[in-house]
Amino acid sequence: MARIGRAIVRVPKKIKKGDVFKVQMVITHPMETGRRKDRHGKTIPAHYITKVEFFFNDKKVTTLHTGPAISKNPYFAVMMKATESGKLTIKYEDNKGGKWEKSVPVKVS
Amino acid sequence: MISRRDLLKTASAGALALLMAPALIGSSFSRDMTLEEALKEHLGATLSDLTQSDKVRIKAPTIAESGANVPVQISADVPVEEVEALYIFADANFNPWVTTVELSPMNGEVFFATRIKLAKTSVVRAIIKMKDGTLLATSKEIKVTVGGCG
Repeated sequence: MARIGRAIVRVPKKIKKGDVFKVQMVITHPMETGRRKDRHGKTIPAHYITKVEFFFNDKKVTTLHTGPAISKNPYFAVMMKATESGKLTIKYEDNKGGKWEKSVPVKVS
Repeated sequence: MISRRDLLKTASAGALALLMAPALIGSSFSRDMTLEEALKEHLGATLSDLTQSDKVRIKAPTIAESGANVPVQISADVPVEEVEALYIFADANFNPWVTTVELSPMNGEVFFATRIKLAKTSVVRAIIKMKDGTLLATSKEIKVTVGGCG
């Protein structure tokens, strides 16, 4: 699959101070369980996201520990409290040593 | 022409390979787990340690068209400051553990949404681990027409 590890992160455009807003993300990833076989009967090796971390202005907000039971091209949504404007950074890695990072600005008014 | 000795050699090698096959399969696949084993591994708890609570809510379809992609949303009416982590388990999966979400006060509220795979019709459990060690749980059965674990 092309572009494994690419992510789209979405936060609301208008956030008021004190609001709780939703952060949504989708990662392009096969999430192979290691149980499936290809058409030659060979087992497709396991390949899945193991960890996703959300940081806001370098402070950790949430850590997700994930396994192969998360769907292909995983979708995650968490809530966050708006205290100030800043940068939301999401770091994620898979069981084959892939490591990625994605940052989006968060504007709080 | 195959000699008797050769025949015996190949036959015994074949028998040995057959004997070893289950061991090889066991190492290349992740071991199947029961819900009790998964709870023990991730929470250090048993089913009887869970406190059923209507404060925890699962929003998910009752019937899922495909087990490969079942949307699940977990929320709870408890202050996020008192929560350590949130867990999702699917009883009938090969490994019932789905995910562990470590929350912090910066989350504002207890909420998590994702899409999960279900091998077959299964009870899905949401467990909230409080900082005082209490485990609040709720469950919902999701019927699956096509499995999604390969």
